[in-house]
Amino acid sequence: MTTLDPVTLQILKSHFEAAAESMAYTLLRTAHSAFVKETEDFTSGLTTPCGQTFASPKDLGATWFIGLDYKGAIEAIPGYAPGDICITNDPYSGYVCTHAPDMHLWMPIFEGETLVCFAVGHIHNTDMGGAVPASLSRALTEVQQEGIRIPPTKLVERGVMNQDVLRIMLRNVRMPDQNWGDLKAQIASLKTGERKIREAIARFGVETVCAATYGVLDLADRQARRLFASMQDGDYTFTDYIDEDSPGGVPCRLKLTVRVSGDEAVFDFSGSDPQLQSALNMPTGGLPRHILPLVGYNYVVYSLDPTVALNTGLLRPVRCILPEGSVVNPVYPAATGMRSLTCARIQGMVVGAFSLALPDRLPAGPAGGGGILNVRTTDSRTGRLAMASINPITGGGGGCGREDGQDGSNSFLKNTPIEITESEVPIRVLSYELVPDSGGAGRYRGGLAAQMTFQMFSPNSVVTARNRDRVRFSCWGLEGGQPGATCGFLRNPGTEREENLGNTDVVRCSPGDVLRISAAGAGGWGDPFSRPVAEVMDDVAQGKVSEIGALAYGVVVRNGLLDKAATEASRADSQQRETGIVFDPARLAFERVWSNAAWDALSEKLFALPIEWRFFMKHEIFAGVNADTAAEGDPVAAIERAYRRLLELYPQIVPRRLGEAA
Amino acid sequence: MGYRIGVDIGGTFTDFCVFDETSSALHTLKVLSRPDAPGAEVLQGLDEIEGRFGIAPSDVSYFTHGSTVGVNSIIQGTGARLCLFVTEGFRDVLELARLKIPDPYDLFSRRPPPLVPRDRVIPLRERMNADGKAEIVPQEPAIAAALARAEAAGAEGVVLAFLHSYANPAHERLVKEILNRLRPGLPVFCSAEVWPIVREYERTITACIHGSVQPRVSHYIGRLEEALHQRGVVPPPMITKSNGGVMTAAAGKERSIEMLLSGTAAGVIGAGFVAQRSGFDRLMSLDIGGTSADVALLRDGMPDFRSGELVGRYPIYLPTVSVSSIGAGGGSIASVDSLGVLRVGPESAGSMPGPACYGRGGQRATITDAFAVTGVLGAAELGYGAVSVDRARALAAIEPLAGGLARSPAATAEAVIDLAVANMYRETSRLFSQVGEEPSGYALLAFGGAGPMLGCLLAEAMGMETVIVPETPGVLAALGGLLADLRSDFVRVVFQDVEAASMPALAQALSDLIAEARAWLQDGQGHRGEAAVTISGDMRYRGQSYEIETPLEEAWITLGDDKAIAAAFHARHAEIYDHADEQAAVQIVALRVVIAGLTPKPNFPERAADPVETTPQRRLRVSHRGREIDAGLFERRDLKPGSRFAGPAVVIQDDTTTWAPPGFTGEVDGYGNLILRRGTA
Repeated sequence: MTTLDPVTLQILKSHFEAAAESMAYTLLRTAHSAFVKETEDFTSGLTTPCGQTFASPKDLGATWFIGLDYKGAIEAIPGYAPGDICITNDPYSGYVCTHAPDMHLWMPIFEGETLVCFAVGHIHNTDMGGAVPASLSRALTEVQQEGIRIPPTKLVERGVMNQDVLRIMLRNVRMPDQNWGDLKAQIASLKTGERKIREAIARFGVETVCAATYGVLDLADRQARRLFASMQDGDYTFTDYIDEDSPGGVPCRLKLTVRVSGDEAVFDFSGSDPQLQSALNMPTGGLPRHILPLVGYNYVVYSLDPTVALNTGLLRPVRCILPEGSVVNPVYPAATGMRSLTCARIQGMVVGAFSLALPDRLPAGPAGGGGILNVRTTDSRTGRLAMASINPITGGGGGCGREDGQDGSNSFLKNTPIEITESEVPIRVLSYELVPDSGGAGRYRGGLAAQMTFQMFSPNSVVTARNRDRVRFSCWGLEGGQPGATCGFLRNPGTEREENLGNTDVVRCSPGDVLRISAAGAGGWGDPFSRPVAEVMDDVAQGKVSEIGALAYGVVVRNGLLDKAATEASRADSQQRETGIVFDPARLAFERVWSNAAWDALSEKLFALPIEWRFFMKHEIFAGVNADTAAEGDPVAAIERAYRRLLELYPQIVPRRLGEAA
Repeated sequence: MGYRIGVDIGGTFTDFCVFDETSSALHTLKVLSRPDAPGAEVLQGLDEIEGRFGIAPSDVSYFTHGSTVGVNSIIQGTGARLCLFVTEGFRDVLELARLKIPDPYDLFSRRPPPLVPRDRVIPLRERMNADGKAEIVPQEPAIAAALARAEAAGAEGVVLAFLHSYANPAHERLVKEILNRLRPGLPVFCSAEVWPIVREYERTITACIHGSVQPRVSHYIGRLEEALHQRGVVPPPMITKSNGGVMTAAAGKERSIEMLLSGTAAGVIGAGFVAQRSGFDRLMSLDIGGTSADVALLRDGMPDFRSGELVGRYPIYLPTVSVSSIGAGGGSIASVDSLGVLRVGPESAGSMPGPACYGRGGQRATITDAFAVTGVLGAAELGYGAVSVDRARALAAIEPLAGGLARSPAATAEAVIDLAVANMYRETSRLFSQVGEEPSGYALLAFGGAGPMLGCLLAEAMGMETVIVPETPGVLAALGGLLADLRSDFVRVVFQDVEAASMPALAQALSDLIAEARAWLQDGQGHRGEAAVTISGDMRYRGQSYEIETPLEEAWITLGDDKAIAAAFHARHAEIYDHADEQAAVQIVALRVVIAGLTPKPNFPERAADPVETTPQRRLRVSHRGREIDAGLFERRDLKPGSRFAGPAVVIQDDTTTWAPPGFTGEVDGYGNLILRRGTA
């Protein structure tokens, strides 16, 4: 194959990016659904003939799928001809699609006989059918409940649409016009990509273009290796939890060890929980470079070196270990609809693991957990049913070694103006503000959470809050910085009827009900006592830190004025300051029983069981240990006791012995 | 008869365009800008015009002026110290903004700090509902307490931005009245008066930017008026606007926010005029200066208008001529990293120290240096003799890169240029995809100091056939100001379903808006001539959360033809998005009126073109595609209507250098524009 000089490669890289971006704009312009047009939950891109994504738009669309590998889907089709367009939305066919609402398309681009590349992309359909509207609910347990699934199929063969596939699909979804409209926009987007690639071929020749598709992947590979080479070799282990592994369930533990060696790294997810009887599973097929567990890795690499090429090449120095039958590699037919919650948590953990190696260069824990709010109610003036996406409830970014975290949000999500919401839906928003003291204290403070309070007026109103978490465990501080505050969700706060809704994701409301919902705050970075007093006083003046909150910085404020003497005394107090990673008290209390050793012991036992027993046995063991008064003294022994009892109760279980193949 | 003068103050140069109403001749001039003493450059320019062209200030019959004084005060954070009063419960309208961080991949990405910091955002107990009904009326004691807080915080002005004030501004007005009574002289700005749109963040930030710049801009315009008057210029100055129009100085002092982005807007208006006159209906204007390249797409001489354009890092939501910055300027710096990857920009040497070849202390290679090394630049001085090109310095700056790339200096310089063009190709491709147009049907009009140097290369990459280099490419914004009409925008949020029952409310809103617009033009601007009123609606399907501006006819609204209004929306939706849903319910969120008072245009007669092959002054050696080729050198002033030449050619003039690579032919048309065509040799 031709090797290109670096300048030609850079020039073609621009042309490829132009193609991917033009595809994205075409999709954005011609799509029908709000998911595409407003939430920008879509991707577009170009892959090599074997499925490696070499170009994506940087500032358009979902930020999670840079480097998604289309190989599994591409290979599922026996052969390609010009004019073919293929689709799939099956999370269990090739592990390109990761939940049923995501419809992926790919189209070969030929020059003569040569398959130059594929134009690819996906959109999140508002609904794909299944048990619930929008096809997504944490409570679902099987992928069949999450909508109709199309295995990799030629939707268009040599330019001719397969009407049967189309009819079956559209018959099974709740808003067929929208799906069809979006599908047309996707096809237009692929054709735009083809046109731009033809422009490049006409200008630079097919050999140069083909060589450049591989060249940009190699470039990203070298850029990523440069980062690992600059890191200390070693194992960096990070664990975190999802509050509930199913509605009302027990925590889900996620464990990651990043093993850096030379210019490569292994991401070992062993020790993460077995697959769940809920929709939080992340379907990866155990592929060593599946993008879902590596989204945070992309963010880390890009944040440390903004010049990197964002493509599959970045993933080459990395290999993931994703145990089969785990939450990060579930087997069919585990539900996967809400894998985004798990994926977001793992993103934070990847940053956390890298921050063990590079504490000065990465931020403390991100907030999150607030959820995405939708409301369905009746407009009493018109009798019309009103539905609206109100807002994502967001929290800030972690503090880092050079500045405070971003307050109020840290992602691509946008809010809906209060004036628009109130014009469309008969609810009244009472407040939408930052939550003082919600950011973890630190030399550099964690970003504050946002909170919204609103009132419903009609009976039978339903509020849904997707992706809620972080009610129990919050995120972490770094280098002695403090964790952020947890989330909150109250009905009728401050009244006798106050009710804590916790992680509830569907709330039925009565007329007059007030809901107050907040996200978690982000973690702080560095010793809070080393934050200059003037900066703390500025936060107090701004109302971002209260007078009580200032005490966490060793700063004493009375009636808005600094008490210098008391502050000096407080800061001089020789009590031990925290260093390194700081977890929140709720997590530390939980880990008095559920320590690392206890989880590892539990994990080893569960993964020796047949897959269908694991989730059940986890919950049974949890119940046993929680009832065991001696658990805190020796949790591992308590787990062993509970496990033995269960094996007696269920003699039909046959655990594998250690080292035996699955 | 007299002289019409357009002045545009830019970052480095202040441009003058002088039109002689008697002879139709156009004179141009550039002087260095004086950010330290804004306005001084205007007077200096008038002196030079008198000295050079013998035009006395008293001969001036019309004077337009664009200035960056407002933009600079936002960028430098030197605007007025404001307090913002908001509805209780919504103190973080600026902090939260629309949430999205600028670069979601970057863990360190931050939104800009709020224009008014949180300690100066003061919640006030009041509430207006979405339907315009008052829920909680603000009370004087609370207002007085808020004022006391504002004064303690050192407020030089107060912005009032309450929820739903677009629907009913009564609370903002009431609080303003009380503040005026309690503290006469304290500037108070109501969000619904600055720009009454729905969406609280967008309305609030727009009002805050206005409050921040208004005192300084108003002071500046006042001083300028006085100085011009003392110098003997009789007509009061007109101020150019971000919407491509002009307004009186008095209006400029009141509505300062409307002038913030007038420089780029006037350039586009100038470009549209020049291209349309020469018969090009679809145009991409390309203005490349020292630090950035700005592009706009025009159809039939009209640019697109957009709201949410950035002033520094903050968006304003008044309708603004849509201009996209596509990164590279002549001063963009090239570098090679440890993996041998070449990059051009985003860092820029700007005008100080500038490119290495200017010899003003710049050491790093820029795009301009690359052109000096290939030989396109260096045959003459630049910028009206202000700068001479030192090729040796350019070579010295390029050589370290050549080492990193293992190429000759000439090949390295070409690599820098090619990569800069590839980056511009990428950004330009996005623009065309956004509007769903094909570039091949567009002509490219290149201006600014570096536009004509890169224009043909970009046109080649984009598959565009024609490049236009106007006669005075360095002063197009000043010319645009001269040509601009009196123009103002008016908006009223109506939030109605498009159905028969809504028609009376729409008709009322429209009649109010038109009355307001006419009052602005006739009473405010003293315009007695022709006026054009354009009506449009911000419309959407129910459930969509963005609106499409749809042109509407007055009669549809006054006669209550809801079907025609809906049909216009379906058609517009299909035009933009390639589909429409004729069954779906349509909403009209806001009505807009644009009024334009037509100002007399300079009359540029078409000159007779005398087709003649022109002989180059001499030949230059230029590196191109890895070879040294002979390029003809032409002086622009020697090229008359009808003059022709074939590329490769370099055309030099005071304010720019044009590079016509092999494959292009050049011809000057009857208006003095150099038309370069590809592939017609």
